Amino acid sequence: MSRISRPRTSRLETLYSFALRLYPEPFRDRNARSMRQAFRDGLSDSSLSRRALISLVLRDLVFSLAKEHLAMLRDTYARPTLIFNAFVLAALSTGLALALYAIPQHVLRAGANDPQIAIAGDLVAKLAQGFPPADAIPAGRVDIARSLSPFVIVYDDQGKPLASQAELNGTIPALPPGVFYNVRQHGEERLSWQPVLGREHGVRIAAVVLRVGGPNPGFVLAGRNMREVESRIGDVQEMAGLTWIGMLVVILVGTAVFGWYTRPKAA
Amino acid sequence: MTTETEPAAPLSPAVFAILLSLAPGEEKHGYQIMKDARTPEGGGVQMGPGTLYGSLDRMMRDGLVEESGFSDDERRRYYRLTVLGDSVLIGELRRLAAAVATARSLGLLAKGQRS
Repeated sequence: MSRISRPRTSRLETLYSFALRLYPEPFRDRNARSMRQAFRDGLSDSSLSRRALISLVLRDLVFSLAKEHLAMLRDTYARPTLIFNAFVLAALSTGLALALYAIPQHVLRAGANDPQIAIAGDLVAKLAQGFPPADAIPAGRVDIARSLSPFVIVYDDQGKPLASQAELNGTIPALPPGVFYNVRQHGEERLSWQPVLGREHGVRIAAVVLRVGGPNPGFVLAGRNMREVESRIGDVQEMAGLTWIGMLVVILVGTAVFGWYTRPKAA
Repeated sequence: MTTETEPAAPLSPAVFAILLSLAPGEEKHGYQIMKDARTPEGGGVQMGPGTLYGSLDRMMRDGLVEESGFSDDERRRYYRLTVLGDSVLIGELRRLAAAVATARSLGLLAKGQRS
């Protein structure tokens, strides 16, 4: 039985044909036959050694594969419509993520005032009935840096504390004078109050300040440490941030897939 | 009449070698162009089939070359210069000639020495 060995050139051509499959499809469809023919012509060219041809083709494969794939990626993804759509979707998802943060943040912060509104209103009514400030406020002290309990402070008409449940570092915290001015103008102020400035102190109070009328005018402040509420707002921020990143990843992957399936077939 | 068009930027060695190979107005297939480009007169550019056909694709898109339609073999495609390709080549040759003249005037190349 005789065994017919295929010529070496055929093996090389077969290998080269396999290598041609690495090129992007549109390029391969246009040029694979001509490239195989050029390789075949090179094999039969006596002026070019086999070794020189193989070396040339290997170098060419490395560089031209990279170049054609980059060109294909550019043709596939650098389309104005595709990029514009991706930017619009990214902008929408950014707006949605901001809303996902801003709405619950507003609701949580506004809700943090609820007990203080009632407490301050009741205290104003009591003071208006003529109760002395020291008798009108609930008994006991509240360390506002540690406790989450609501507290009240009664101020005279000049903003000087008359009676207080609250203490911070052993003293009654001072309210900024501008707050009294605003309450005189509008009757009420709801604010986030940081009694000691500086991030390291970290005490922030959800405060409601009401005007006390009558023969002994003054002000009532009802407040509560915002630590718990701010922790919840931080959770909302984290969830909104993760949702935003998730939406951007979905847009990125979706754009990549859509771009690939709608890529120009003939570059 | 051939008009001269200055290329926007210096041509890449592969594009220049392809234009030069097709310059005499002949129609050539891929391997002929590769072979011409390898010679010192053709630019001395070692170009494989991937680089050649990638460059030809882009040159056809830019209107510098075109397929002639002639084929002596189903697998062989023949190419020729367009008028634009011809003028771009002349523009590039003038640019190179000016650079060579400058090099000569600076004494970097002896007069009459081939660059």
